[in-house]
Amino acid sequence: MKLKKLSAPVLLLLPAFVVLTAVIVLPLVFSFYSSFTPFRLTKPESLWIFVGLRNYVAVLSNWDFWIAFGRTVVLLTIALNTEMLLGLGLALLVNKATQGQRLLRTVMMFPMMFSPVLVGFQFKFMFNDNIGFVNNALQSLGVTDRAIPWLIDGNLALVSIIIAEVWSSTAVFAILILAGLLAMPKDPVEAAHVDGCTPWQTFRYVTWPYLMPFAFIAMTIRSLDVARAYDIVKIMTDGGPAKRTELLWTLIGRTAYADARMGMANAMAYVAILLSIVFTVYFFRKLAAARQQIGAEW
Amino acid sequence: MAPVTLRKLVKRYGALDVVHGIDLEVKDREFIALVGPSGCGKSTTLRMIAGLEDVSGGAIEIGGRKVNDLPPRARNISMVFQSYALYPHMTVAENMGFSLKIAGRSADEIKTRVEDAATILDLGHLLERRPSQLSGGQRQRVAMGRAIVRQPDVFLFDEPLSNLDAKLRTQVRTEIKKLHARMQATMIYVTHDQVEAMTLSDRIVIMRDGHIEQVGTPEEVFQRPATKFVAGFIGSPPMNMDEAIVDQGQLVFATGIRLPIPPRFVGAVRAGQKVTFGLRPDDIYPSGHGLHAGDAAAVHEINLPVTITEPLGNETLVFIQFNGRDWVSRMLNPRPLRSGESVPMSFDLSRVHLFDIETGKALGA
Repeated sequence: MKLKKLSAPVLLLLPAFVVLTAVIVLPLVFSFYSSFTPFRLTKPESLWIFVGLRNYVAVLSNWDFWIAFGRTVVLLTIALNTEMLLGLGLALLVNKATQGQRLLRTVMMFPMMFSPVLVGFQFKFMFNDNIGFVNNALQSLGVTDRAIPWLIDGNLALVSIIIAEVWSSTAVFAILILAGLLAMPKDPVEAAHVDGCTPWQTFRYVTWPYLMPFAFIAMTIRSLDVARAYDIVKIMTDGGPAKRTELLWTLIGRTAYADARMGMANAMAYVAILLSIVFTVYFFRKLAAARQQIGAEW
Repeated sequence: MAPVTLRKLVKRYGALDVVHGIDLEVKDREFIALVGPSGCGKSTTLRMIAGLEDVSGGAIEIGGRKVNDLPPRARNISMVFQSYALYPHMTVAENMGFSLKIAGRSADEIKTRVEDAATILDLGHLLERRPSQLSGGQRQRVAMGRAIVRQPDVFLFDEPLSNLDAKLRTQVRTEIKKLHARMQATMIYVTHDQVEAMTLSDRIVIMRDGHIEQVGTPEEVFQRPATKFVAGFIGSPPMNMDEAIVDQGQLVFATGIRLPIPPRFVGAVRAGQKVTFGLRPDDIYPSGHGLHAGDAAAVHEINLPVTITEPLGNETLVFIQFNGRDWVSRMLNPRPLRSGESVPMSFDLSRVHLFDIETGKALGA
C-alpha cells in the first residue's frame, strides 16, 4: 500500500539508486569505517575494534608513506610535463601533415591500445640489463660497453618507469591538443602573420592560448591516471629495488594484500585521494581561467 | 609610396588554375575594389598580395619591390578579415597594439598610437573589453583599428562588411571611406557586393573565373561595360538583356519586335550578326516618367503589358513583358499601374549596349 504513494520519478530512479548504493556507496562507507579499525584480512574479528584516528596518525607519521607520496608527485610532475611537450610537438607535426593525417592520428594512438600490464612487461624486457633491447642497442652502437642496470639502479629504475609511462600515454596529450588545433579558427593565426609575428611568436601569443584549455583537460585526466599508477610499476619493479620506486598505490597495495593490514591501507588510500583531489581542483581552475581567456563558448 | 603591381599572377591548386595570369597596376594611395561572384579568384588574389598564399607564377611588387617570397610580416601591409580575426584572449587595446608590441615599440608609443586610432574609430570607451564582449560592428572597428595602428603601406580588406547587418554595413562603409581620405594609403578591397565596390573605390576590378574582365572607374564600368558579364554584374537591378539579329539597320528580336540600331553601332555590326542587346532599367520607363531628359530623337516608344510593380516610394520598378521575358524598368514620379495594363514605354536607344554573342565583348565605340 505504501508503494503506491511513491511518485513516478522516484519509482523510476529507484533501481539506479539501489544499484549505486550497493556497488559504490556501501563499499565506500565500509572502507571509510574500516580505516578507523585495525582490520586485518587474516583476523576478520578485528573489523569490529574501533581505534579512532590511530591509523591516520600512523600513516601521517610514517616516513615510508611520505617518501612514496613525494615520489608519486615527482613522477607525476616529470611524466606530465614530458608528455605535454612531446604531445604538443606530435600534435603540431601531425597537424602540418597534408596527406595521411587520419592514418597518422590512428598510429599515434596505438600505445593507448595496449594494456598497461603489457606495456610493463614489454619495457621490463626492453630494459633488462642482460638480454634487453636497450642495452643491446647501446652496446651495438658503441655508446657503452657495459650493461647498464636499468631496473636495478634505484634512480634509473624510476627513469625507466617514467619512459614507459610517457610512451604509453603521450597520445592522450597529442590527441587532445590536436583536437584543439583542428577546432581553432585559422584567421587569428593569419592575422598574426600579417601583424608581423614570426612563427614562434605566432605560436607563443596566438596558438598556445587557444590550446591551453585542451592541454589542461589532458593534464587533469593524466594527473588522475598517474596519481593512481600501479600496474606498470608493479610489473616492472614491484616498487624495488629496495623500495626505490615505491609509489603511493604500490605501497597501499602491499599494505593491504601482502601485509593484510586492510584498515591501515584504507587510511592511506583516503590520504592519497587528497592528492588527486588537489591536482584536479588545481587543473580545473587553470582550465576555467584559460577558457575564459580565449572567450570559449563551450 | 606604395603602388602595388601584379604581373602575370597565377595561382594553381594542383592541376586547377584559380587565377590565370592577371596584370594589375594599383597606384599609390588608390582605393581599388576587386569584385566578382564567389570563386572568381578575388580573395585568393588578395591573400597572395598579403603573403598568406604562395604565388604559383608571375610577380607581386609592393612599392617597386618584388615580394613573392617575403613572409607577410616583411611586406608592411595590414589586413582586415571578414571574420574580424581578433585575438580573443586580448583586450581591445592589446589587440590593436599587438603588432607594435611584436615590433618592440615602447609602451608609451603603443599607448599613444592605440589611443589615436581609438579616437578615429570611436573605440575609446571599449579599450579594456575583450572581443567576446563586443558587438559585430564594434569588432569590425577594432579590426580596422588594429590595421591602422601599424601605419602600413597597403591596407587589404577581405569582405569586411559581409558579417554585418544591412544598417551597420552602410555605417562602416562610410567609415572606411573616411579612413581612406584620412590615411592616404593604398587600399585593396575585396567584395562580392557591387554597391560597396561602386561607393568606395577609385577604380573597380571586375573578376570572373580567375580573369580580369574590366578595370575602370565606377562610372566607366557602369556606363561602358566591356563585356556582357560586367554589364550584368554591375548595376541594380541588373541590365535587361536579350538576343537580337541585325537586319536592314534594325535589331530583330525572336518575337518579331524591331528596334532601330543606334547610330554609334553602325559599322560595328554587320547584317545577320547575332548580338546581345542590353538596356538598363533606368533607360526604359513609362513615357513621361523617365530619368534622362536625353536626346528626344533617340527615344523609341512601344506599348507593352505590365506584369507587376514594386513601389519603392520615390520610384517604382515596373516589370513589363518584352520579347517573352520580364524586363525591369524604373518609373520616377510614379503613378499607379495595374497588372496587365498596356503602357507606352520609352526606350532610350542612345544608351543601348550591344555585345558579341560569342565573345561577350562590347560592340561599338
